[in-house]
Amino acid sequence: MSVWPMPGDGGSGQPRSLTILLAALLMAGGVFLTGHGAWIHAKAVVAQILLERAFARSVATGLPARPWGWADTWPVARIEAPGLDSAAIALKGVSGQALAFGPGHLENTPEAGEPGTAVYAAHRDTHFAFLRHLKENDIIRITRRDGQVATFRVTHMAVARWDEAQIDPHAPGRHLVLATCYPFDAVAPGPLRYLVYADLAVHPR
Amino acid sequence: MSSPISPATQIRRTGRRGFPRLRAALLLPMLAFALFLAQLGQARAQSAARVTVNEMQSGSLLLETNEAGRYVEAPRLATDVSIDVNGPTARAQITQAFENPTDGWVEALYVFPLPEESAVHSLKMIVGDRVIVADIKEKQAARAIYEQAKREGRKAALVEQQRPNVFTNSVANIGPHQKVVVQIEYQQAVRLADGRFSLRVPLVVAPRYNPADASPIVQTADLRDGWGRSSDNVTTSAAAAPIDTRLAAPGDGSVNPVTLTVELKAGFALGTVASLYHEVKIDRLGETERRVELDGEAGAERDFVLEWAASESATPDVGLFRQHVGRDDYVLAYVTPPAVVPTQNSSREIVFVIDNSGSMGGTSIVQAKASLDHALSRLRHGDRFNVIRFDNTMTKFFSDSVDATRDNVAAARRYVASLDASGGTEMLPPLHAALDDRRQTDGLRQIVFLTDGAISNEQQLLDVIAARRGRSRIFMVGIGSAPNTHLMNRAAELGRGTFTHIGAVEEVDARMRELFEKLENPAVTDLKATFSARNVSITPALLPDLYRGEPLVIAARMGEATGTVTIEGVIGNRPWKVELPLDKAVSAEGISKVWARRKIADAEVELTLGGISRDAADARILRLALEHHLVTRLTSLVAVDRTPTRPANVPLTRADIPLQLPAGWDYEKLFGIRAHRDAGIDEAAEAQEEAWDAVIRREKTQPALQATPAAPLPLPQTATPAMLHTLAGFCVMLLGLGLFLLTRGRERVG
Repeated sequence: MSVWPMPGDGGSGQPRSLTILLAALLMAGGVFLTGHGAWIHAKAVVAQILLERAFARSVATGLPARPWGWADTWPVARIEAPGLDSAAIALKGVSGQALAFGPGHLENTPEAGEPGTAVYAAHRDTHFAFLRHLKENDIIRITRRDGQVATFRVTHMAVARWDEAQIDPHAPGRHLVLATCYPFDAVAPGPLRYLVYADLAVHPR
Repeated sequence: MSSPISPATQIRRTGRRGFPRLRAALLLPMLAFALFLAQLGQARAQSAARVTVNEMQSGSLLLETNEAGRYVEAPRLATDVSIDVNGPTARAQITQAFENPTDGWVEALYVFPLPEESAVHSLKMIVGDRVIVADIKEKQAARAIYEQAKREGRKAALVEQQRPNVFTNSVANIGPHQKVVVQIEYQQAVRLADGRFSLRVPLVVAPRYNPADASPIVQTADLRDGWGRSSDNVTTSAAAAPIDTRLAAPGDGSVNPVTLTVELKAGFALGTVASLYHEVKIDRLGETERRVELDGEAGAERDFVLEWAASESATPDVGLFRQHVGRDDYVLAYVTPPAVVPTQNSSREIVFVIDNSGSMGGTSIVQAKASLDHALSRLRHGDRFNVIRFDNTMTKFFSDSVDATRDNVAAARRYVASLDASGGTEMLPPLHAALDDRRQTDGLRQIVFLTDGAISNEQQLLDVIAARRGRSRIFMVGIGSAPNTHLMNRAAELGRGTFTHIGAVEEVDARMRELFEKLENPAVTDLKATFSARNVSITPALLPDLYRGEPLVIAARMGEATGTVTIEGVIGNRPWKVELPLDKAVSAEGISKVWARRKIADAEVELTLGGISRDAADARILRLALEHHLVTRLTSLVAVDRTPTRPANVPLTRADIPLQLPAGWDYEKLFGIRAHRDAGIDEAAEAQEEAWDAVIRREKTQPALQATPAAPLPLPQTATPAMLHTLAGFCVMLLGLGLFLLTRGRERVG
């Protein structure tokens, strides 16, 4: 650390103004980083409002509706945990871009309530922050794009590596898996995922 | 800090009170920040390294498995493969001897690969002097029967399909030093391409990517999955143990020996007969017959491929076979269309459309650009071409198709290299632009469409293709690990082209070469097969276009094979027709099984195309499978010995048949870690006992797991850097503030 101009170096004017400049730069950088963190949350919240509208439109018309003009995805379902008063509109696909705005419905998994295992994934600190509070036998309600509502009951929870999750999209029966990152309070992205398994309780209608 | 006394220490020594404390306060956030950065870096590095391991597939999984289980002396196994080729079909008999070298009761589990189109229909188990013949049952029911027999101490065998080309064979209750022999039979149609017949016997379960063997649609599951990690699909309730197959050390070469013989009755005068990868002995039994035998014992480390061709004069271009089963006749026909040399002066126009929308971001756009670049480099003198790129806007690179001169091609390649992925996906305008064929010149017109197909207005798009395709052929190139295969298949079908899936950059060259071989030769199109008899069930339901060297292969079931079958099509732009009298068909074996297997594949295709519901497809598959005694994803073969052999109070342990590593895999590299771990243990017996314990423990702990999927479903990254950024931001701010205060403080003191 001896390369840093320390204040004890002799106190000439040059190093001091450099230090102040460095201090200013650091503070500006800090504001920017903090702002970026806040921006992620803001985007997640604002997008949900637009998505909610697009989803309502989609249910009414039966056609996919883009939430905003340049979006490359569209809402496909509303995921609700009535016990926790939490809800989020899920988008088709799980590209990084889509996940910033809402939970994603994994490609190659069936729609919720159809035979097999429907899988939705979302960020642990925004849309799926509520997963940590879900318990066995809790109810999860999925409103599909066709307006039908499928009700699921949580069977168990598990933690697995992202590439070793025990999920069979073609499992017999009708299941649901909600996935997010684990541990919930970690700050850096990691390989673990938290999985909530649920089975269909009430057929879509 | 290399200087003996840093300025900071000097100050502390001079004892200016207040500052050291301040400095400590300053150091803290600095340290914290550095820690965060380090942690972030570490997390990234770790996940990145894991991804690579995963992309290498099996390696990582194997190591893990072995750490848990260490070395277990597993049951010995000898495998004999005996194949009868009779004209168009091959019947294979796989006989495996399981020997339990231990003093405990074990369950053996063998994972084995089979050709994609094989119809597994028979399982026999030989225990002592009894032969037990298996029944076909619904998968769940078969599993239940097997589990019950296992609990009751009876010998039982179960053959299940894990994926269309990977099967498992479980054998329960093999007593100490006992032998059980299991025989599986399957039927397959021989492959004919470019005038050469071939037969492939896969002997390895491994992530396989083999361009020569791959049909245009390749499941990603095949690439992702493999080595000892496919699943042991189980009862609905729970209890699934992943198949962790131990590997036999190379020195242990005799652990899993394979002997193989092929009785080849080609039905025509044979020319060359060759085994591509193995040393064989070939005996000539007559003009049309050969006996092929593997020279010595081969380990199960590489697929066995046998190729044969007719002698020059006798190359058949039509084959017609029949089999009578129950009340029905089954017919199998091979027709090779006449070769038409492409007219050199016939012009070809080719339009490339590339999707550079946001969903293509990341590796997809890299693959798409590489594919298109490859395609452009293959253009020939005399071709005309254009490039269209689109997101929610579109650009035609040339206002109209231009000659493929060196300058034009170079300009287009530079343009493609400059593309980035962003924006929405509006596929209709570029499709209209590509289909715009106002110039109406003669010759081939081909559209190559590179996209992931992430769009919402699929039907609209397909309608446009159906309405405007004209003479254009549409070749879909699906990019990325999960392209919209439904759209791609339908678009290619309506556009009478093909669907090529490119899932990784490494696949670009091989796949694009295959595609271009098709594009550069005239296809046989508009194929129709008409039987004069009524109530004929033909498979495949949709006859595909044929490209150079491909024969048309159709199987049909009918009341009585009489009358004719007429095959019509168009080669280039000339009509082609051939009529075959069914009563001239030669009788052959296994045709009904081949027909049923293809019908099942048809149902799967129709399901993917959205033609029928999942329930309807399942019902159809189940009916065919039960009627024809086939192992499918819904049915399994199960055999149970009626007399219990294991005393009720002796525990059953389970061991896996060691799989041999594919040729070229380095055992030491894979298992160096384990060798090191085991180095300290001299007592082999002790080690083995421990390992058995581990196996038993694992069995006990595993039932908590959910039913295991055939391939783990990769889950996306679901952590945002929001918290990280906020925290780091605060730290940096604090750091700045501290530095600022420090300077101010210094000033005041000074």
